[in-house]
Amino acid sequence: MVLEEQIPQFTAWIGPALLRYAAAASISLLIAAILAWLVQAIANGPLAAGDRVYRGLLAGLADVSLPSPRRVWALARLAIQESLRRNVLVVLALFALIILFAGWFLDPASVDPGRLYIGFILSATNLLVCLVTLVLSVFSLPADIKSRTIQTVTTKPVRTSEIVLGRMLGFAAVGTCLLALMGLAGWAFVVRSVSHGHTLEAEDVFEATDGDGAPAGAEGRTSRDRGHRHRVILDAGGSGIAETTQGHRHQVSVSGTTATGEKTFAVGPAIGLLEARRPLRGTLRFLDRDGRPATKGISVGSEWAYRQYIEGGSAAAAIWTFEGVSPGDFSEGLPLEMTVRVFRTYKGDIEEGIHGTVQIRNPTSGLRSESLPIVAREFTIDSLLIPRRINTVLANGELQEVDLFDDLASDGRIEVWLQCLEPAQYYGVAQADFYLRAGDGSFALNYAKSCVGIWFCMLLVTALGVMFSTFLSGPVALLATIATLMIGQFREFIARLFESQVTGDATIVPGGGPIESLYRIVTQTSITMELDPTPAVSAMKLVDTILLAPMRIAAGIFPSLSSLGTSDFVAGGFDIPGDLLGAHACETLGYVLAFFVAGVFCLKAREVAS
Amino acid sequence: MIQEAAASSQTMRRSESAEVVVEARNLSKVYRDFWGRSKKTALKPLDLDIRRGEIFGLLGPNGAGKTTTLKLLLGLIFPTSGEALVFGRPATDVSKNERIGYLPEESYLYKFLDAEETLDFYGRLFGMSPEERRRRAAALIEMVGLSRDRKRQLREYSKGMTRRIGVAQALINDPELVILDEPTSGLDPIGTREMKDLIIDLKSRGKTVIMCSHLLADVEDVCDRIAVLHQGELKELGRVEELLRVTGVTQIRATGLSPAATAELKAVLERHGAADIEIGNPRSTLEDLFLEVVRDTEARPGRRARRPAGASDATRTG
Ligand SMILES: Nc1ncnc2c1ncn2[C@@H]1O[C@H](COP(=O)(O)OP(=O)(O)OP(=O)(O)O)[C@@H](O)[C@H]1O
Ligand SMILES: [Mg+2]
Repeated sequence: MVLEEQIPQFTAWIGPALLRYAAAASISLLIAAILAWLVQAIANGPLAAGDRVYRGLLAGLADVSLPSPRRVWALARLAIQESLRRNVLVVLALFALIILFAGWFLDPASVDPGRLYIGFILSATNLLVCLVTLVLSVFSLPADIKSRTIQTVTTKPVRTSEIVLGRMLGFAAVGTCLLALMGLAGWAFVVRSVSHGHTLEAEDVFEATDGDGAPAGAEGRTSRDRGHRHRVILDAGGSGIAETTQGHRHQVSVSGTTATGEKTFAVGPAIGLLEARRPLRGTLRFLDRDGRPATKGISVGSEWAYRQYIEGGSAAAAIWTFEGVSPGDFSEGLPLEMTVRVFRTYKGDIEEGIHGTVQIRNPTSGLRSESLPIVAREFTIDSLLIPRRINTVLANGELQEVDLFDDLASDGRIEVWLQCLEPAQYYGVAQADFYLRAGDGSFALNYAKSCVGIWFCMLLVTALGVMFSTFLSGPVALLATIATLMIGQFREFIARLFESQVTGDATIVPGGGPIESLYRIVTQTSITMELDPTPAVSAMKLVDTILLAPMRIAAGIFPSLSSLGTSDFVAGGFDIPGDLLGAHACETLGYVLAFFVAGVFCLKAREVAS
Repeated sequence: MIQEAAASSQTMRRSESAEVVVEARNLSKVYRDFWGRSKKTALKPLDLDIRRGEIFGLLGPNGAGKTTTLKLLLGLIFPTSGEALVFGRPATDVSKNERIGYLPEESYLYKFLDAEETLDFYGRLFGMSPEERRRRAAALIEMVGLSRDRKRQLREYSKGMTRRIGVAQALINDPELVILDEPTSGLDPIGTREMKDLIIDLKSRGKTVIMCSHLLADVEDVCDRIAVLHQGELKELGRVEELLRVTGVTQIRATGLSPAATAELKAVLERHGAADIEIGNPRSTLEDLFLEVVRDTEARPGRRARRPAGASDATRTG
């Protein structure tokens, strides 16, 4: 899996996150209060405006605090009834249709069908659920205001906060039900579509002999099912494995003999297809080509700034330090799994991977194991089981077998060194690329966790939609919600663009802000070319900065749905870390709370009956 | 004459001492457009007291500002100046709604609910228990005569049926103050009759009713006091019988008089130079008053001079 960011520990994350949240909330509140005051001041003069804003603030806060659960539930129920009467369940039929199409059109013979199916189904689920709740939430309140039904509600002892919260909860409940059904159906579909078996016929198995001509087992190939077949290696007894193809393998055993005395084989279910690996991750440092510590590897371009490169055929190394490695957890040895990117300065044999080595070292004593050869192939996870008993290289060059945990680990810390053997080729690695497989979670649970991520997205979309619908008409609220989510989606880019604009450092994001980009498009100037600093250009850049400033602020506080998504984990076969889920939960809660409060203030400030 | 004045001042004191349920002070409303420019002065500064147990009628031609006044009292819209107090609390305070029932101009209800669900929903908003909700809903549906249609969605309802369920909705919480915006619009004659009976029944149970209408007969039949609005301005305010009393004419009405007695009476009256045989204060109709107000305003714009007959019920000038 491509994990482009480190997952912070929840306990370390929550403190700064809360601070940032408080800061963003108070700044937003301040800006809103100032805007409200300005609007009021134009109509009523500054003093009266101040009084009104102050009163409004107090009334709003009183309203937000402690909504009555009974009335909220009554209004939520109404929202659910409304959704049902609007035939929202039709989307389930749509989802069924999508699954049908997925069954027809997704290629089961692709490199990693599990990833393909999971990715597709989870995205479809996410999109449908969010879309449904978005449409529901955005059009409901404006319709009520337009048809004036809101008047019969607000003349009951109902607080504005209850109207807003009831809507949010009601539509969220509808979304939750839809999500639960779609999640279940999607999961069943994925499991059904990737699980498969093969058959192994006796005529496909050939006896193999070792150098002396003695029988040493057999080799063969399975039948072709779901677009692939496996090479089978059998021991003398007839049992063995069908080797990894499309990311999975099968166990093979002898099931009996036929009347003619031939063996029949049974091929087990796929192993390693739908997994939820739990990695133990380490920290990464680098040695440069002369073997000196380096803060960074070599960057081969900004695209993978996150991934650093080491040069082959030199002393350059990437070193992971794993902590908390104990024989209790890894009684069989260390199951090292690795994804190594390759950057070739010459093409070489493209079919062959690039060769390198892995060594285990004791971080304190410096004792190192012999070099274990690896071959880096792009985009696949290679696994290497480092055995308990392992040879170490002594100072005089002799080998000595030692115990992995007793001699190569110190205080549960162990180092893994990666080096590339081929000169002028490069290995690219990031911290998350090497890990010890500490265990496995259940795939079903992991899928459910990913659905929880979708649930967070759905909550966020619903709350945002309802918030906008308190002061905008339906279609406009829809657009506003989508625009907000778009800005959130590109928030990192906008932040970098702004930084680039303010510092004048065009390497961060080349091409400049909106007006400069337009100018470049019209004049067909390349984005990497510096513009002459004429007064006109300076003015243009200034305007760009002014235009970008509010977008930068928005990008700092708007939510990004994709950052809540965890389908990559499931598709990549990794267990979704609890820390990440916790952080996402808090983030969602924070946003929903903010949208709720904003919605209440907006609706309260509004004459719903005119 | 002196006696009459004393009596009327006594009633005044009595009514003064009764609890004021609704109070409007200098209440006015200017509708503005999105940009804050004023579009329409719907209500000019209005002062009004409505006391517990009375049926108060707001009267006026279309666009006079009746609905606007009611909405201001309910806190549905915010006043441009002045304030409205309901049960002594600002109109925007939602807790007052516990004791209010409101029937809007048209019944704005959720079309996708049926009659039972509608009442159940509004009952929930009052935090009523399921048992109580069921009981009230059944009783109200029975009362407004929708028993046969209680499982049908409101989108299928006719105008009068919608109106009926609207009334039921307004009474779900057994309110102390009932605000009815044109309660009889869309109702058939029987429905109208029932509505009037209902209003009078509410009064007999000590409720306060504020209603507005341009159906004069309805107002005349049920209201204790009325206010006449025209172009957002208060034109008349007073007790119905006082507003409609025609002074300078006496009316006698009696049953059981023999022709001889009638002749005798007539003779006596004729002896005194009277040309009529009826004794007492004949009432003009509200229609006459209404038309007079409208005609008057058109002839002489501005606040209408109060007629002496209405003197006992003062209109404060704002
Ligand atoms: N939301 C609004 N925006 C602008 N003007 C409005 C609005 N609501 C009412 N008005 C205006 O205010 C005036 C009073 O309206 P209101 O609804 O109070 O009249 P009404 O007395 O209830 O009339 P009717 O008997 O027809 O119901 C009208 O001129 C109307 O056009
Ligand atoms: Mg009206």
